Parts: sequence; structure tokens; C-alpha cells
Amino acid sequence: MSTLALDTSNILELDFSGEMIMSLITMLVICILSIIIFFVFRKKDPTKPDHGFAMIVETSVEKVQNLVVETMGRKYEGFSGYILALSLYIFICFFLGITGLPNALTSLEVPLSIGLLTFIMIHAAAVRKNKWRYYKRYTSPLAVFLPINLLSMWAPLLSITLRLFGNALSGYVIMSMLYYYLELLSSVIFGSFMFEGLSSIWLAPFITPWFHLYFDLFAGAIQTLVFVMLTMIWVSQEDPDESIEEGIALK
Amino acid sequence: MDYGLKYLGAGIAVLGGIGSGIGEGRICAHAIDGMARNPEASSSIRSTMILGCALDETTGVYALIIAILCLFI
Repeated sequence: MSTLALDTSNILELDFSGEMIMSLITMLVICILSIIIFFVFRKKDPTKPDHGFAMIVETSVEKVQNLVVETMGRKYEGFSGYILALSLYIFICFFLGITGLPNALTSLEVPLSIGLLTFIMIHAAAVRKNKWRYYKRYTSPLAVFLPINLLSMWAPLLSITLRLFGNALSGYVIMSMLYYYLELLSSVIFGSFMFEGLSSIWLAPFITPWFHLYFDLFAGAIQTLVFVMLTMIWVSQEDPDESIEEGIALK
Repeated sequence: MDYGLKYLGAGIAVLGGIGSGIGEGRICAHAIDGMARNPEASSSIRSTMILGCALDETTGVYALIIAILCLFI
């Protein structure tokens, strides 16, 4: 359980623990995927209907664009690139957990930096909308509330970071406990008629895939959706698109 | 002595999951209510329900984080 150590004393040193390597692998996977998509779409004839891989890519891009326009309004159509990149990173982080290696989000730095992106984006949207009146929110309704407002400013960052981190970490801890006890159980059952080392591998391949399906694929998809929805809602409520209330933005 | 108290603290911390469980039950009950009243809206109700469950799960996950921190640190 050495990967669970949340040691922040060496935060300035270069840290190449398992999660950092998994984060690099995640980025490598996304890069390879992007290059494949680039070459597939360069060769494709735009007049012909899509099939196979190209269709999946086009459908998912269209779905994300529709989601962004429905949630945030027409004004934010350009936001869908960021949302697509964010959801791809989070989902592939969870998806690579099916290899049994620690998911990159189980190290606190990774969800914290993703959460900081959202946090900065919320406040940037507020500053862009309100200009200097932005600072008025910290003294509303009275100047006495300044310390309370300064503390509650950090609540979205904390909640969005710990949600992602807690889900990834709890899935990883439960999976590693499951692997450990299945190994123990298998060596108890098969230990009597097999030699040491071979007897402990017979139960895990049949039981763990279903748990991987839940903790990595299902929970990963749901958490990706939640993170992306919260980012969109928080950013768009700071600087709302008026047309969305009139139903113009909705198809 | 310290070792046992650590486990006891982790067990108490994870009791926070009670509230999360009650909340998820209420979300499901009301979603089923809505689906039974208005079956045409069931697909959008279902997706909202899953989103709500995931948001609600967060408090339980906080309790779990504290329990894990109690155990391993």
C-alpha cells in the first residue's frame, strides 16, 4: 500500500511514483488516439457517410457539443473543445484502471490540478462579466462577512477535487483489497494439491472483471459526467447566456 | 492501544455513509414516482437521477476518505 501515501513533504522534488507514470501513460494514449483520428479524418471523403471508427468519433463530438449548448447556451459553443478534452482525460484515467495499475487520479495532485482549472475558469468568467464589481461579492451583504466569504470561496474547489479523488481512491482500495483476499482464498483452496506460487492465481481472473466493470467503467463514466456538468453549470451561472431562457439555444 | 483506536475511529468515520444512503433512497423513490406519473419523461428522469445519485454519493465518499486516512496514515 505504498501508493496510498499522501506525503507532501517532498512536493517540490520530482516524483515518479506509479500514479505519475500512469498519468504519462494516459497522456500517451490520448496522443496516439488523436493522431489516429487525425489520419482517419484526413483520408476520409466528406461526401460519403461515415462508418466504424469515424462514426463513433463524430457522434461523440456532436453529443458533447449538444450537451454544452443545451447546458450553457449558444454563446459557449467554443467551450466544447475544453469539455471534450477534460472528459477524455478523466475517462481514460479511469478506463486504464482496468489494467489493475493505480489510476492516475488516486494521487491527489492530479484531481487537484484539474479542479484548479475549473476554479480559475469560474472566477475568470465572473471577472469578465462583472469587471471591478466582482470584488463586491466578498463584502455582501455586510463587510463583516468578509472572512466567511473568503472561506466559502474555496468550497467548489474542495468539493470537485475530493469528489474525483475519493471516487478513484475508493475504487482502487476496494479493488486491491479484493485482489489480496482472493489470492489468499485461492491459495487456501488450491494449496493442498499445487505447489507454492501457482495456487494463488485461480480465483481473481473470474471474479475481479465484474468489479472492474463497475468501479472503472461505470463509476468513471458517471464521475466524468458529473465533473463536466458541474464545470459547465458553475461557469455558465457566473456569466449566463440570456438566450437559453427563451429556448432559442435549445433545438 | 493506539492501533485499536485507529480502527475504531475509521469505523465511526464511515458512519457518515448513513446519510448518503438515505439520500440515495429518497432520490430513487422520487424518480420512480416521477416515472410512474409521466412515463414519457423517464429517460431524462433517469439521467438526472444518476447525476443526483453521483452528487449525493459525495458525502459518503468524504466519509470513506477520512476512514482511509485514519487507517493508513
